Amino acid sequence: MKSTHHLSGKLHLTGRSHFIADEAPVAGMLHAKLLFSPIAHARIINLDISKALAYPGVHRVLGAKDIPGPNQIGHVIKDEPLFPAEIIMYAWQPLAMVLAEDEQAAEAAVKLITLEYEELPPILDEETADAAKEWYVPERSIESGDVDSIFASAPHIMEGKTKNAGQEHFYMEGQRCRAIPFEDSRLLLHCATQSTMEVQEVVSHLLGIPAHDIVVDVPRLGGAFGGKERAATIWACMAALGAFVCRKPVQVKLNRDEDMRATGKRHPFTSLWKVAYDNDGRILAYDIQLLANGGAYADLSVAILERAMFHAENTYHIPNARIRGRACRTNLPPNTAFRGFGAPQGIFVIESVIQQIAKELALDPIAIRMLNAYHNGDKTPYDQEIKECQISAIYDKLAEKAAYDKLKADVAQFNASHKNHKRGLGIMPVKFGISFTTALLNQGSALVWVYIDGSVSVSTGGVEMGQELSTKVAVVVSRVLGIRVEQIRVESSNTQRVGNASPTAASTGSDINGNAARIAAEKVREQLREPAAKLLEQNSGTAVSPEDLVFSEGKVYLLSNPQSSVSFQDLIGFAYVERVPLGAYGYYRTPDLWFNREIGKGRPFHYYVYGAALAEVELDCRMGEHTLKQLFIIHENGQSLHTEIDMGQVIGAAVQGYGWCTMEDLVWDDKGRYTSANPSTYKIPGIRDLPENFQVELLPSQSKEASVFGSKATGEPPLIYGLAVFFALQEAVREVKPDAVLSFPATPEALLLSLK
Amino acid sequence: MQDKLKSKADELVNRITFYLNGKLVTETIPAGLSTLDWLNQTKHMFGTKCSCNEGDCGACTVVLAYPRDGSIVYEAINSCLYPAAKLHGRHLITIEAVGEPDKLHPIQQALLEHHGTQCGYCTPGFVMSMFAMFATITHPDKETIFSALEGNLCRCTGYQSILEAAEEVSEGHTPQDIVPEWCRQVEEQLISFKEPAEMQVINTPSPRLVQRYLVPEDFNRLFDYFAMEPEAVFIAGGTDIMVQMNISRKAFPVLIDLSRIPHLQRLYLQKDGLHIGAGITYSQLLDSGIVKSDYPMLHHLISQIASQQIRNFGTLAGNIANASPIGDSLPALLAMDATLSLQSELEVRSIPLREFFLGYRQTALRKGEIIREVILPVMPAGAYLNCLKSAKRKSVDISAVITAIKVEASGGVISSAVLALGGVAATPVISKLFPGLVQGHETHNLDIQAIARVVAGEFIPISDVRGGAEYRSTLIAKHIEIYLEELKGGQA
Repeated sequence: MKSTHHLSGKLHLTGRSHFIADEAPVAGMLHAKLLFSPIAHARIINLDISKALAYPGVHRVLGAKDIPGPNQIGHVIKDEPLFPAEIIMYAWQPLAMVLAEDEQAAEAAVKLITLEYEELPPILDEETADAAKEWYVPERSIESGDVDSIFASAPHIMEGKTKNAGQEHFYMEGQRCRAIPFEDSRLLLHCATQSTMEVQEVVSHLLGIPAHDIVVDVPRLGGAFGGKERAATIWACMAALGAFVCRKPVQVKLNRDEDMRATGKRHPFTSLWKVAYDNDGRILAYDIQLLANGGAYADLSVAILERAMFHAENTYHIPNARIRGRACRTNLPPNTAFRGFGAPQGIFVIESVIQQIAKELALDPIAIRMLNAYHNGDKTPYDQEIKECQISAIYDKLAEKAAYDKLKADVAQFNASHKNHKRGLGIMPVKFGISFTTALLNQGSALVWVYIDGSVSVSTGGVEMGQELSTKVAVVVSRVLGIRVEQIRVESSNTQRVGNASPTAASTGSDINGNAARIAAEKVREQLREPAAKLLEQNSGTAVSPEDLVFSEGKVYLLSNPQSSVSFQDLIGFAYVERVPLGAYGYYRTPDLWFNREIGKGRPFHYYVYGAALAEVELDCRMGEHTLKQLFIIHENGQSLHTEIDMGQVIGAAVQGYGWCTMEDLVWDDKGRYTSANPSTYKIPGIRDLPENFQVELLPSQSKEASVFGSKATGEPPLIYGLAVFFALQEAVREVKPDAVLSFPATPEALLLSLK
Repeated sequence: MQDKLKSKADELVNRITFYLNGKLVTETIPAGLSTLDWLNQTKHMFGTKCSCNEGDCGACTVVLAYPRDGSIVYEAINSCLYPAAKLHGRHLITIEAVGEPDKLHPIQQALLEHHGTQCGYCTPGFVMSMFAMFATITHPDKETIFSALEGNLCRCTGYQSILEAAEEVSEGHTPQDIVPEWCRQVEEQLISFKEPAEMQVINTPSPRLVQRYLVPEDFNRLFDYFAMEPEAVFIAGGTDIMVQMNISRKAFPVLIDLSRIPHLQRLYLQKDGLHIGAGITYSQLLDSGIVKSDYPMLHHLISQIASQQIRNFGTLAGNIANASPIGDSLPALLAMDATLSLQSELEVRSIPLREFFLGYRQTALRKGEIIREVILPVMPAGAYLNCLKSAKRKSVDISAVITAIKVEASGGVISSAVLALGGVAATPVISKLFPGLVQGHETHNLDIQAIARVVAGEFIPISDVRGGAEYRSTLIAKHIEIYLEELKGGQA
């Protein structure tokens, strides 16, 4: 059977898909342009808007004092103003907004605002912030076993410091929101957000109006990757404020360079670690302190730190572990969610440690990983039992696919015979916990309507952003109702149809929304059983038991008598006449989740996704440049709802991870201003960066823990595979400099200097 | 004089005529407006996407069809950097006209089948780049596909599915499938298009960065315009000026476009070498048989400059006039000892390129003077020429350091040597020390490490977003090592 196409594929491919604010301005619409702070940390002495206000075409210039409600857009931790009233906390922080009839006038007027400020010293890195005790919340910790006594007697102990850099999301569609006032002081927000509920809630507080006066609608996003989970809210608030104050439509749409300068990114982490191990390479104890560079406001930093801590041991059973984390406030734009949400940072450290142990003991890096691997029945440091561990099977499969032993020998031979070029292999296993670690977010709703022509409309709280959630939801509903995907339309995410939706994030999009849609569609199907039985009885003259009916291929029939059937369409017409409800609401919450932060124990994840990657690189030691010769990935994902979509997620994420650790180089100056603020200076992978040989295999698994129709999440975990390239490069460097520790990201500059 | 010119200016029209998706249109275009902004803001055609607005992402890719040497070429360009005024007499093809949801173009069908679209924002750009590629080459190989698509960024797919779709189209389709009938129908009209391009594009009521955009069709008009607008800036491809406008919001009140002056569109070989007119694009150079055979180093280098979309309208002369210390072509041109022919109203003069760069973005161009031609001397047989570019990404990246070398030897003894470098000083430079260190020495008997060290010490590069000073110094030495080892015949 041919797989379902991307539900919006034909529209995307012909340029007919609709993106927010890529449309004609509505009548009377005002364009917003922002005054951004030139400096990372300062006390505002005076902000003079008078000249800007007098500029032709300008309607209003809005700042902190124009906000009707509290000047607060923080969500979990309330520490973030929309516009700072007194203290500027990061470079490119928005300070004021000009609303004018066209963009040119708005832009010209922004230049007429004068800002007087007193410069304050900025803190830009997490170590300085940590020393200054700049934490949003007290240290978090997870502990198991008896770390201290192991360290007192272990045969080998090693300590180190590992750093990872941040990463710009580089969603192709920038941040934007169009706010349109309508009847009775209400606002409709067309907003590029992953989180309709949060935007509604925060705007409601900011403007002092009830949530039901704010409608948030998201047809789709042009990419997000976490960068529109929390970081979209501020722009939505601005558009909403403008529309609320002026009673006119207002559009906020950032340019690429504004977007890259003003928005937060993946968190840089500095981690201090200490490990105890035996002669075989078995890890006996692990003590790690993770410091996250959270930026100016808490945003999601504490949750991101927590996920880093939950993944600090990755695929390894470490009976004695002490995992501590502190999220540090700095004067960078508030760092935020980015695919992986801290897990890549936590995993990077333990994998660096494993590489060091393998090197110290001269052991094979796969062997040492297998030795320490989790098995069923093991418990994580936070006490969750490992139940359906796939990692050993995955190593076997990976080694076979890559012909590992031969590859290793070939690499050794190549390196022995080449002076200026060196090859290296890198392994990257992944165990990724699926569920929001904030348990309350693991809930979702869906609304299914069958119209009387048999076409179906499905709404969920999930946001389509390229991950093809819509296609997966349609696949789920089509399976339940036994109809073609083409009969189903998946609607925009809209707070009027689905309220209180959790962000589409944490890889849970299809689990939560797919299940909610499944439940709603099942309700519809159950409601249709009676009229279907009645209709079949009328047609055939024999009694039909409603419970035995099958909904399949656009028909309803008895399994014992498939010849006698009614079409879905006829059934719907009949059911309407019979006054049977043709719509249903579905609600899903992920079962059995809990976590106690006080004791650092619980069951934060519904299940785990496993996988592993192997990379082979060739490094040109004179130029510091490399070729990614091969990348093999084995990714376990239950019973896939759609293998092409899942393949697309795995490949796309792995390439994104590869970019993070090799070429995506965030640079800021001593005033805390990003200088790599456009794609001419910040390089994400291009088509030439594809591995020469790229082999990805989905490993189907039968999992009792898996989610909708036995499927598992794919969104975030595969990003981590990209790190295999980093370790491969480090191995290549070590062919020349055995003790080299490669800095992150492994740009040609980092590689060349590490060889010196 | 001024009055006469004024009245001449009044005669000018502020409309241009071109084909948009198969239909002839006459449009009034605000000065300096990009094709992308014209599509989005004026026509409310939003299939063409704005993502970076500086020519680095390809989301805004459109296709231009226009006559060159008697036949029609189809070229992908970044509409964000392409002044709409340049559309005159050309055929602008946008995503809106390539296939429909129920009648997909073969390229779109292949992308659909391979799941080559995820969020969809980059997708129209990829379709258009592929359209231009397949309209030009029926069965492109992987390298050609990479060249055509390296200027299109996708953050979702990881490219594999897009590559597979392109490979499938490459195997299974004919040019008839690719270029639709409505495109073919316009081709003859493009060739016979005679309406002069001369125009004056006047500013709109709201403040714009450009107030007047002038398009002369010969040198006389060019210098008339310049006399009328002595503060005017000349624009050829515009791939840098438009970035300055889009990103830095720099104003260029008057622009004079050089791209329609026939004298500047010539590429020919003479005794003294290859003459490259100022309007010749990188793509024209890549397509040139002479460049391929006689200047292979230049050919290789140009294939690494920018992206297909930029190479299709960016010019070599523009790279020179722009005088960036990291201008990708400049070290190679210096090493080849290029000469510039400069033209003003009163004279044509020659100047060696090595005397052209006076300081950071300062050149020997006088007011009212343009580059007419770049002249590359005939390369001596047997000379060793090479060029190395170091950047963060394999393609579509600006170099941290770029160098080029030319060495001649007779009987194994080096008789002359030039090493030129970009990214190490305020201008592209020629190493003063390098010739003295190698000339008179045998190629197989050079103290490579010492030479590399000494030459690296000649420069004090700066640290910036593209690389630190130490990295740049190291690269200078490494590039030299690579060159000299290759010269020596050593194996990498």
